Amino acid sequence: MTKKAYRGLFVCAVLGALFVRTVRLDLRPMHHDEGNQAIKFGDLLERGEYRYDPNDHHGPSLYYLTLPLARVLAGRSLAATSETMLRIVPALFGTGLLLLFLLFAGGLSAEARVSAAFLAAVSPGLTYYSRFYIQETLLVFFLAGLIAAGWKYLQTRSGWWAAAAGFAAGMMYATKETSVILFGALAAAAVIDRLLRPKTVSARPWGRLAVLLHLVIFAAAAFVPAWLLFTSFLKNPNGLADSVLAFGTYIHRAGEPGLHTQPWWYYIRTLLYTRFGHGPVWSEAFVVALAVAGSIFAFGSEPGKDGHPRLVRFLFFFTVLTGAAYALIPYKTPWNVLPFYLGLVLLAGNGAGVLWRTGRFLIVKVIILAVMLPGLLNLARQEYRANFTDYANPTNPYVYAQTSPDFMRLVAAVEGIAAGHPEHERMLIKVVAPPDETWPLPWYLRRFKRVGYWTDIAKAGDLLDAPVVIASAAFNEEAARNLDGGYQSVFYGLRPEVVLSLFVRQDLWEGYVRSRAAESPARRGR
Amino acid sequence: MNRALCSIAVALFGLALVLPASGTGGQDQDKEILKIQLPKPMFVGTPKNIRTPNLEPITGKPRGPFLVPMGTVLLSAGKPVTASDKEPVIGELSFITDGKKSGEDGYYVELGPGLQWVQIDLGKSSPLEAIVVWHYHSQARVYRDVAVQVSDDKDFIAGVTTLYNNDHDNTSGLGIGKDREYIETYEGKLVDAKGVKARYVRLFSAGNTSNDMNHYVEVEVYGLPAK
Repeated sequence: MTKKAYRGLFVCAVLGALFVRTVRLDLRPMHHDEGNQAIKFGDLLERGEYRYDPNDHHGPSLYYLTLPLARVLAGRSLAATSETMLRIVPALFGTGLLLLFLLFAGGLSAEARVSAAFLAAVSPGLTYYSRFYIQETLLVFFLAGLIAAGWKYLQTRSGWWAAAAGFAAGMMYATKETSVILFGALAAAAVIDRLLRPKTVSARPWGRLAVLLHLVIFAAAAFVPAWLLFTSFLKNPNGLADSVLAFGTYIHRAGEPGLHTQPWWYYIRTLLYTRFGHGPVWSEAFVVALAVAGSIFAFGSEPGKDGHPRLVRFLFFFTVLTGAAYALIPYKTPWNVLPFYLGLVLLAGNGAGVLWRTGRFLIVKVIILAVMLPGLLNLARQEYRANFTDYANPTNPYVYAQTSPDFMRLVAAVEGIAAGHPEHERMLIKVVAPPDETWPLPWYLRRFKRVGYWTDIAKAGDLLDAPVVIASAAFNEEAARNLDGGYQSVFYGLRPEVVLSLFVRQDLWEGYVRSRAAESPARRGR
Repeated sequence: MNRALCSIAVALFGLALVLPASGTGGQDQDKEILKIQLPKPMFVGTPKNIRTPNLEPITGKPRGPFLVPMGTVLLSAGKPVTASDKEPVIGELSFITDGKKSGEDGYYVELGPGLQWVQIDLGKSSPLEAIVVWHYHSQARVYRDVAVQVSDDKDFIAGVTTLYNNDHDNTSGLGIGKDREYIETYEGKLVDAKGVKARYVRLFSAGNTSNDMNHYVEVEVYGLPAK
């Protein structure tokens, strides 16, 4: 591949990735977890407050990395932020991931890097969670940064690359404490790689000292960002220690049978073949097949003219070990596939790259392209479906406890009713629902000044005080009784199986219906 | 005298300064705005992902007995069904009157998005006592703008009686309904037909809280046989 072709193709992949990750970020209703993260970020934005919670929410990097853009665009008001403003952060990191592939030069051939970039650009899983305001995409970005900087260090033995690798490792930890699983897999892969290589004696007597110094640099560079972020820039001195204590919580959660227990083959099935009910078939078997080919080539003699089998073998060991570790943990959610997926994409890139180089004649290259292009287009089609049409459809394997689009009708109704209420955004709203049936309401009601949340109807006081009451289905009948028939009740779907009832004082409801009737029919939904 | 006037003027000036500072006048002087601290939402981890059918009703209360005149029979069994959507997305229209009420796949018919109707031809005009509809009871969901109409006119132009309508905002154009929405359960929704005489039964819906599609597992029409 000529340098010109390489540059042109890589730029195309990055621009494509940027487009699919950033366009229409407001399309999908905020997920329960995104609502949690957004409100947590709101404390930092509005009051400068962040305190690490060892029981939930993971590390603080997501909030601090969101802060600069949100400050510029929304000042200190969470109400002035939007879904796009928050989701653009993982979207940009998801695009930046592709740029990190450039650092694998010398380990992966130009063809492999370009192929990996295209596969990542159109990957349904990577794009879906790049448009999701949770930590996963940041974790994968810093993981790729750590591997890439580590590789550069091995090539150059430069202290700067040791520092860069350390910084990436620190940011991984500050993103998700569970990154320790990945550190373990990286270390184990490095050990296996070392054991498989013939032993060499350093020709330079000061070599060991230099490595030791670089290890110190690596550790310091890892410690500083993690320490600063977990301690909220030294405001909460126990933050870093709490993050270590959180391991107990996460180990307990990972091992106990619960809401998210899945069989060991959950991630493999998700990638290879998924079909729910009458829904379409989802499969990223193309990536897996190329990754298998790429792994086999890693143990061959020639991974590519400008590639190196050592990196590919390391990626293979890391991917297998990470996949095995995640498979053994009973707690599984689809976004946890991403670190494992990163390895697959890089190995698949290597597979595609070697296949491309193997074809010495034009006709062979045409045949390889004819096989690869439909695979890539099929991924792109699924990527489009995952993000732009089936983004909340439970038949999409990446849709997990997703807020139903019907919920947005509830939000629109509350906003419409507030518009007709004399106090507008100061209108009192009472929400009576268990916490798992409350989110993402706090995000969507963030502009309202007087919203109260109760988990027990008896503690919510007189419901008649509030012109708008939102109740979970379990409280529906009791709420209706308390409201004494003077309220209109309408059901809205929060998630599959979870329904909320909206109670609106009759006069306000009638005013709302009249105002909607005055709107053009095209603008009405419900 | 001057000293007295000066004293009054100083007192009035002092009062004028104090009153605005208090913010209220007259009888509200000893009151203040009640500041109520509303409870914040509780943070909780990722909720359960539900993809598989759940046959449990979520309200839990069984429907009480419904009394009908002696001799009331099921009139709709095997009767022909027509619909606004001529080509259902899933299933057949005949499922609606086949007597099978399971919530599983293969027992329901799915009609397209938005407002749709299904119509049962009972063959003869009969006094109707009850209509029971099961939209989709394998998942807790609510169907929008559910309306049940009966008539002797197959085109529902003349002599239409609306037995049930929960379209609260008239988005479906059937008039504002006063009936309450309900969550689907295995018991189905029973509509009191109040003895109205009709040959055709038409049921409307406009999507549901889970998606925009319309579903029917079964519809049963009970009444007295035509004489």
